[in-house]
Amino acid sequence: MRRPEIAEDLVQETFFAAVRTSGSFRGKSSERSWLCSILKNKICDHFRKLGRETSFTDLEFLDDELSHKFVPQGFWNHEHGPFEWKPEAEVVMHRAEFWETFRNCLSKLPQRVAHVFMLREMEGMETEQICRDLNISPNNLWVMLHRARMALRECLEMNWFKDPQQESG
Amino acid sequence: MSGEYNPSPEGNPSLLARRNRFQTALVKFIGRHTPKCREVVRILSQSMDSKLSLTMRIKLRLHYLICAWCQRYEKQLHELRKFASSVPDHVDDFSADTLSPAAKERLKEALREERRE
Repeated sequence: MRRPEIAEDLVQETFFAAVRTSGSFRGKSSERSWLCSILKNKICDHFRKLGRETSFTDLEFLDDELSHKFVPQGFWNHEHGPFEWKPEAEVVMHRAEFWETFRNCLSKLPQRVAHVFMLREMEGMETEQICRDLNISPNNLWVMLHRARMALRECLEMNWFKDPQQESG
Repeated sequence: MSGEYNPSPEGNPSLLARRNRFQTALVKFIGRHTPKCREVVRILSQSMDSKLSLTMRIKLRLHYLICAWCQRYEKQLHELRKFASSVPDHVDDFSADTLSPAAKERLKEALREERRE
């Protein structure tokens, strides 16, 4: 959520929903995760209401930027091919600064593309369901996910894995 | 034939490169019979969401012999998934934003109203 007033509304709706349905809270999970799951649904609803349009600019956002990565025959330009990520993902995830970088990279994506990516990769929602809920065509979804992955990978590489500062911490 | 893949072995992390005649021939052959990297990255993204055919999976394995970059790309897509799915465990690092004191007051007030009704 990029606009604070929308975030505030959603948090408020979450608490309302929690108060209304508190009888159904069985204490199987912590209150925190219970509230988070309600909030997640509210966020999904919000995006559903926003409608179906993905502008072309959303999808074009990466095309030019990445054309230098490949030689005209379609192979990687060796200078710009993926870099070997070190240290491993498990190690990196313990660093608070890494999450800041991750969040910054995510915020550079067009909002809808970032949202679709998180539904798929954070929540593990099936692609069919994302298409249904957000009313987008499967083809459009493939493109969005591909661009999101490509852009995020690139951004993390440039701002974390290739950044000498991260080794000093 | 133009557009044939015949990469330099210099600083090349791939298993096969132009290191001898045998390798050169093999690299060219695999380059001709597997998708180009630009296409491979697209296919790899799809493979995160649906199962690829056996033929395609074999083609990718072969392609990795001549292209360590695409192999890294695949590994990194899985790492991206690992990162994204761990966000809920790291929300506090992920965002330091909290509701402003004024917003908290508004929220409490609204909840009190709701209770009264």
